[in-house]
Amino acid sequence: MSYKTANKNTGYDVIVAVLCLTIAVITIYPMWYVLILSISNPNAVARGEVWILPKGFYFDSYKIIFDDFRMWRGLRNSVFYTVTGTVLMLITSSLAAYPLTRPNLKGRTAVVIFLLIPMYISGGLIPTFLVISKLGLYNTVWALIIPGCYGIWNIILCRTFFMTISQELWESASIDGANNYQIFLQIYIPLSKPVLAVIAIYTVVAIWNSWFASMVYQPNEVLHPVQMYLQRVLISQTLKLDAMKDLPLDQETRKWLLRKALTAKQLKYSIIIFVTLPIIMVYPMFQKHFVKGVMLGSLKG
Amino acid sequence: MLIRKKTIKMTTKKNVKDNIELYIMLAPVLVLIFIFSYIPLFGIVIAFQEYIPGLPFFGEGVNWVGIKHFKAFIDSFYFIRILKNTLVLNLLNLVMGFWVPIFFALLLNEMRTVKLRKFIQTVSYMPYFISAVVVAGMVLSFISDDGIVIKLTSILGFSLRSVNTKAEAFPFIYAITNVWKNFGWSSILYLSTISSIDPTLYEVAEIDGAHRLQKVWYITIPFMVPLIIIQLIFAIGSILHANAEMILLLYNPSIYSSADVIGTYVYREGLLGVRYSYGTAVGLLLSVMSFTLVYTANRTSRKFADFSLW
Repeated sequence: MSYKTANKNTGYDVIVAVLCLTIAVITIYPMWYVLILSISNPNAVARGEVWILPKGFYFDSYKIIFDDFRMWRGLRNSVFYTVTGTVLMLITSSLAAYPLTRPNLKGRTAVVIFLLIPMYISGGLIPTFLVISKLGLYNTVWALIIPGCYGIWNIILCRTFFMTISQELWESASIDGANNYQIFLQIYIPLSKPVLAVIAIYTVVAIWNSWFASMVYQPNEVLHPVQMYLQRVLISQTLKLDAMKDLPLDQETRKWLLRKALTAKQLKYSIIIFVTLPIIMVYPMFQKHFVKGVMLGSLKG
Repeated sequence: MLIRKKTIKMTTKKNVKDNIELYIMLAPVLVLIFIFSYIPLFGIVIAFQEYIPGLPFFGEGVNWVGIKHFKAFIDSFYFIRILKNTLVLNLLNLVMGFWVPIFFALLLNEMRTVKLRKFIQTVSYMPYFISAVVVAGMVLSFISDDGIVIKLTSILGFSLRSVNTKAEAFPFIYAITNVWKNFGWSSILYLSTISSIDPTLYEVAEIDGAHRLQKVWYITIPFMVPLIIIQLIFAIGSILHANAEMILLLYNPSIYSSADVIGTYVYREGLLGVRYSYGTAVGLLLSVMSFTLVYTANRTSRKFADFSLW
């Protein structure tokens, strides 16, 4: 807020600042903790000495990740899914939005209703699974790309933005002999960069972070995105080690298991950092667009 | 929907050509929506069948069984358990999380150092963009026996062990995870409401000698009340909607008794257990209940806050 107050409430300001900083620390500390554990000396980590700053430096766990071809394969797949999915999402959103802005489109109400119904009711997991399997998409890369390549909300978002483009522009282009395809590509698309940026960023984050569709549709590990690789390393293996802990084992095996668990833990922390860092680094640049998206979304269509 | 009727004089011929172009543009998306949103919708009928994988949803060889699967589900102990779990998880989430973004938005607004304010805002959105898999991985590791949460609580004098196998702990773990991940993001709407308040109101209040806390109480909060009511109504309306993806990552068989919700049950029993008809019936039953709630919430919201989704 830019309004300046004449009365200085320094005590009040201090309380506000302390509370705000506490919240910031609570938000950031888990990530920070993971980061310092991932680069500290594993023995210091095991003794529980690492709390605020890293102790010693140890990058072997990162080396192990770098050498793991499954991680690179996952990353490569994720990049493929994200790029293809986002490009398709931009095409479908704008392509479907444009005709809906034309006043002389016949049967527009019917099209709008056709679009709105799936926003409120869906077939659910199993019928969708059966359709996708029936189409032969099961266990292919397309199971992750085609069913998710359109978003009805994005079409509406796009349409709302297109409506702000002046009609006179359309008319003058039309008088010059341009058809709808030309007007769409040469006038609407260049003018709609802000809304396309918002859709693109949301789609990128959504696809990059998604794992459930892959778990349902892709038993073949070769097709997995990096989040599935993470799921296997971070979640499934934790449970296995935890289950072993309660077994009646001799002292030696127990020690061996413990050591293995420790390295495994640091490995996990390193993987978290490795996969999350890119998003966190580009995130401040995109933040503006994210917030804009929330604002656009809160408008009534 | 806003329909702008511009009376443009056009010959019928041009109009037809125009419409052909427009429908060519619409066609691919409409076909996609039909295949991937509408056909599954028709597929719901398998809830009333003994569906055999590979057969079409309608036609020859379909064995209709009426509401058999619905009955089986309601008679099983899963129905009550899932309902109870979903309600407990969401209520706890609401109690622990609903006020946080409101409080945070008010707090940020009182922050006078603009740079620090921007920084804290940026930080608070961050967890929203970290993938569920990573968040769940962190949580599981923090609550394991040598994890930081257990170490910290032992310093405070509690001795917790094997938290991730204790059913009574799960609702708290789930709620805290959700609050941490979402509070910053949820505060955006509140912050935008606050920034739309006319600054002269504050200036007038100041001339009248209002303290800053009084300004918050008598100006800022009353302006936020409508939005708070809307958010609350919708939170209550979606109380049968648990974040199944997050739960799938966080839970394990020893805590099914408090963590199992509709999404996880349908996935496990219907999909992995290849009980397609039964799973669809379970999903449908809960969707209908949930939809009724959301619909009621919407009606309530329209009545009291003059705001509705549709």
